[in-house]
Amino acid sequence: MQAAWITDFFADRVIHLDETAVVKDMHQLSASYDRFRMSAKDLAHGGDRVQERQTRATVVKQVAMERDDESLLIAVGNSQDREAFNVLFHRFGSKIFALGMKITRNEQLANDLVQEAMLIIWQKAPLYDLDKGSAQTWIFTLVRNRCFDILRKLKRQPDGISADDIYAETELELSVDPEQQQAAEIQLEQIQQYFGQLPAPQQQVIEYVFMRDLTHQEAAQQLNIPLGTLKSRLRLALSKLRDFIGVEQ
Amino acid sequence: MTTQTNHHPSQDLLKTFSEGQLSTGMSIAISAHLDYCSSCRQSVEVYESELASEWVATDPGADGPQLSESNILMDRITSQPQVVPITQATRPRRPVELHMHERSVRLPGVLSRVAEKGVVWKKLAGGINTAKLTLDRDAQCDFMYMKPGSQAPRHTHRGLEVTLVLDGTFEDELGEYRPGDFVLRESTQVHTPRSDEGCLCYSVLDSPLLFTSGWSRLLNPFQRLLFNRQLRHSH
Ligand SMILES: [Zn+2]
Repeated sequence: MQAAWITDFFADRVIHLDETAVVKDMHQLSASYDRFRMSAKDLAHGGDRVQERQTRATVVKQVAMERDDESLLIAVGNSQDREAFNVLFHRFGSKIFALGMKITRNEQLANDLVQEAMLIIWQKAPLYDLDKGSAQTWIFTLVRNRCFDILRKLKRQPDGISADDIYAETELELSVDPEQQQAAEIQLEQIQQYFGQLPAPQQQVIEYVFMRDLTHQEAAQQLNIPLGTLKSRLRLALSKLRDFIGVEQ
Repeated sequence: MTTQTNHHPSQDLLKTFSEGQLSTGMSIAISAHLDYCSSCRQSVEVYESELASEWVATDPGADGPQLSESNILMDRITSQPQVVPITQATRPRRPVELHMHERSVRLPGVLSRVAEKGVVWKKLAGGINTAKLTLDRDAQCDFMYMKPGSQAPRHTHRGLEVTLVLDGTFEDELGEYRPGDFVLRESTQVHTPRSDEGCLCYSVLDSPLLFTSGWSRLLNPFQRLLFNRQLRHSH
């Protein structure tokens, strides 16, 4: 039952590897096997074959167990290190399950979550770097995002938006494009030029609201004038500036 | 554009957002606010790392997953290709622009996603236009555009109303709001939003508006009907 379900789970996730990727994987595998043998040789100093194999396995495991989450995750991302991934699974698997139980109160869903989350950790590991903070926070946010999506699916929420859209890293997408910026700078220069021609009270109001970035209320308080006065001065000043620029153009 | 915003989500909301426990509509409002506000971004980062430490420190106890299957699982997973970082970095992230009568507005990341497939504007009374978004069955989410000089009827609501300003300004009895401002009104707060220069907002409402004054009270049953119908459609 469970095994069949796992097959289903991966059926729609099969992505065909191209040949070069497979070859690369094989290289990686044989390289890590060589490393594995070398370290075992150094540490085990002979003994019979069975014992040697056991020691070898224990050593590799212990080396991996002692590494911190960050270096494990980086090893998974940089060199598809399966041993490192295994250690991460043992460190985080049951915690992911517990979180899944807390959120969904459903064992099957919590199991799904573990598998989905571990798959995504594997797939996205190359995107992790130390700038993104600790590995546990990175894994936590990834698991949280899957939980969010699972809950949405459970409630049959409309498609079209996912946790990854909501919790995307902000890249300051609201930054102004260079052309617009240039146009704005030219206009700003003009405005500054005409700003000096405004009567002092109007200059002051512009300064408080636009340059010091105060709300109307705050500006009025600081200038010790009624809010209405501030607003009418502001309106007057702005329409004059607009006129100035309009005349120029 | 580093916008100075004066109205932020509460720390409670930011923490619940970091936990992933808010409704979709509300989460989107907060996500969009974060695009404008570095201090709330920092708070979310701190909450995420605190929650992660708490999570890792908790002993999951006896009812962990059955790891007997883990070898098959490991093999399956590690035979999957990994993401190539370059494809992520070069993925075009065009911000979507929303066009109203006399202005176009570039939307924050998450709202670009929401508006990607286009929105349908509908005129309401008082120079107000809305475009309904089907994002969340538990909350009503819209883009709202107030034409210059427009005023919404005085109203209150059964639940929470969040308005995130995207362009222009609007004001109500309690203050004036600019792009990036996150304005939360509770059901007990009656207010009359209006806009002199015009304003585009994203708004989330977890129940229909209840108008409290004048002729607009008549709108109520009608509004409720529309809202309920919309709910039923999404079932
Ligand atoms: Zn903020």
